[in-house]
Amino acid sequence: MDFELILGIGRFLLATTLLLLLTVPTAFVIIQMEMKIIAQMNLRFGPNRVGPRGIFQSTIHGFKVLAKEDTIPDQADRGTFTLAPWMVYMAAAMSMLVIPFAPGAVAANFNIGIVYFFAVLGLSVVGLLVAGWASYNKYSLLGGLRSAAQMVSYEIPLTLSIVGAVVLAGTLNFSELIAWQRENVWLFIAQPVGVGIFYISSLAEVNRTPFDMVEADSELVAGPFTEYSGMRFGFFFFAEYVALFIMSGILVSLFFGGWLAPWPFPAQLDGFGGTLYGIFWFFLKTYIFVFIAVWLRATLPRVRVDQLMGMAWKVLLPLALVNLFITAIVVVVLDL
Amino acid sequence: MTKIDPETRIPDPIELDRIEEDRLRAVAGLAPVRAEGGEYAGFDQVGLPDRPPQTDREREIYTLGEGEMLVNMGPQHPSTHGVMRLVVKVRGEIIVDIDPVLGYLHRGIEKLCENATYTTVLTYVDPMDYLATMNNEHAPAIAFEKLYGIQPPKRAEYIRALVVELERVSSHGLMMGFLALDMGGITPILYAFINRDEIVDLLSAISGQRMLFNFFRVGGVNFDTNDEFLSRLGTWRGRVLKNIEMNERLITDNEIFRSRTIDMGTLTGRDAISLGVTGPNLRASGVPFDVRKAQPYSIYNELEFDVITQTGGDSYARYLQRIAEIKQSIHLIDQIIDKMPHGPVQAQVPGIIRPKPGRAYAAIESPRGLYSVYAISDGGPNPYRFRMRDPSFISLQAMPKLMPGRLVADTMAIMASLDPVMGGVDK
Repeated sequence: MDFELILGIGRFLLATTLLLLLTVPTAFVIIQMEMKIIAQMNLRFGPNRVGPRGIFQSTIHGFKVLAKEDTIPDQADRGTFTLAPWMVYMAAAMSMLVIPFAPGAVAANFNIGIVYFFAVLGLSVVGLLVAGWASYNKYSLLGGLRSAAQMVSYEIPLTLSIVGAVVLAGTLNFSELIAWQRENVWLFIAQPVGVGIFYISSLAEVNRTPFDMVEADSELVAGPFTEYSGMRFGFFFFAEYVALFIMSGILVSLFFGGWLAPWPFPAQLDGFGGTLYGIFWFFLKTYIFVFIAVWLRATLPRVRVDQLMGMAWKVLLPLALVNLFITAIVVVVLDL
Repeated sequence: MTKIDPETRIPDPIELDRIEEDRLRAVAGLAPVRAEGGEYAGFDQVGLPDRPPQTDREREIYTLGEGEMLVNMGPQHPSTHGVMRLVVKVRGEIIVDIDPVLGYLHRGIEKLCENATYTTVLTYVDPMDYLATMNNEHAPAIAFEKLYGIQPPKRAEYIRALVVELERVSSHGLMMGFLALDMGGITPILYAFINRDEIVDLLSAISGQRMLFNFFRVGGVNFDTNDEFLSRLGTWRGRVLKNIEMNERLITDNEIFRSRTIDMGTLTGRDAISLGVTGPNLRASGVPFDVRKAQPYSIYNELEFDVITQTGGDSYARYLQRIAEIKQSIHLIDQIIDKMPHGPVQAQVPGIIRPKPGRAYAAIESPRGLYSVYAISDGGPNPYRFRMRDPSFISLQAMPKLMPGRLVADTMAIMASLDPVMGGVDK
């Protein structure tokens, strides 16, 4: 067989394995952040027993979830019930494939990376809907249907909000988009409306407060996850935090320069050092947005489901269309 | 060592219970509980009781129309404020009908009280409204004093008013937090608990206990104020407004909070009166009724305060009403500390009180509304009849009026705004 092909397959396998492994510490770090930061904002101590200053608390939670009994309700649909956590997790993990961590550190440098990302991330709604339906529980059902309505609705403004950026940069490849931002200007300056719509929609897409309709612990107990326990619940839980990381990463790549440093002179270095430099800036910016999401969770109550839908269709969608329209006109008139 | 005969197996009591229950059900012509084989039932079948409806109301709620289903919220639900069950009939997310089912926390407190001496009754009423336990003791104490014909010393009355107002601040503060919590805001409740913890420490300094204070006595209170109480009171007084304001900044002007509470669960003044709703819920509907003003008890006619009302009658008005009352209570506490006289805190009362036959009624303004006690004495050492009117129970009756047409998400938001405490509802 062709040596190049084997090398390509090997590289792909290595990259995907690394990314899949990356999801676990990512989820642990974000869960730890959430516990500790919200605790500080609530004037509590937060976890402070496991490890120095409690830094291993979320890891222990992970092992606890592994050790728990895995129950399946009597009348649940066993096949789909067991499949649903996997679907949600895989949707999150698969979308990691196109995240540009640093120059050269992209698992799959597609020319339609952005399209792929939104297509794959949308799959997680199937998992949630299936989980809600298969559990044979009314809370799960309501949660599953809510998730379907919410995520399908928000997918539209989410996708439209970046079309403006794509039109400006003229590419659907994340790496090229970042290269464009290096040469011109970070897109959050060129697309202020787009970044706003994207951020709001992305919070709804990953079910974060104030749009955590799907879980809504004070109304629906735990939404589609109500009947799940043990590692199956763990998968949902992990997927949620991984999705938050991914959404923040994509936001950074699309609008905040990705791996670029915030100043122009060594915005990007070459070689292996450049990769580390890029990874540093990418993670720093991404975790800033993760922090903002955690901050919002500590601050805001939850919006109601009809207000949520109203906002998607009556506010965000028209705004996104107007934004796209104006961007298109500017691009044509100024011949960018 | 005796040898157990394997033939004489001790039957499993649970098994016996099931057999007995099935036998009784067979007599009544009902299907056995343990039906063979779990058949898959559609969602329109789950949640229906397995017996014919007993009342018209039951028939109404358990008859499902097209596309409707029943959702059982509670008794094990994260936010039913204790153990209450709401049978919610929904069409999609929209609530068609709602039926609160009570009694999961019933402890028979009235009956316990009727078997207790007048002194020990005050310990049994504590766990009713567990967020304002001093209030629970206040009304029976007044009623028994009326029965026995004694007057507590002035200083005791002032201490009573002081601790009761402190509890009002803590209870209303918690309501702010719970209302936000039921809408998904997690921080306000923790801020509210900072305030409540300070108050609870303060009250435990004066009473010696932390939650069920057992502080009031027939004819006075258990202890006089002490140094620790007074120093903690000073510290708390310096911090409380800051704490309330911190919470208010997080909630009051929050756009999401406002859009979820304004025009939500609107209770008109007329409806509130006809349902018998009292307290902040009634005043939020614009009816200026406050027991402290209408039928002054204790020392409230010596204090200067107004009856605060709101106009809206919705969840937001009820929330604003609580904040206004917190500030009013702090104002009252200032006056009480200013005016507190010296003297004894306990009248001379025998160990076992035997009032002359008669009856007495006492009503107070608890944080949840008009809390009253009706006691009948037959001359014995314990009350012949002891009846309590708990305001949360009455407030809950408003729920089936407020909810229909709203969304599932609103059930908890409206319920939290009525601020019921299940310990008092189920007694």
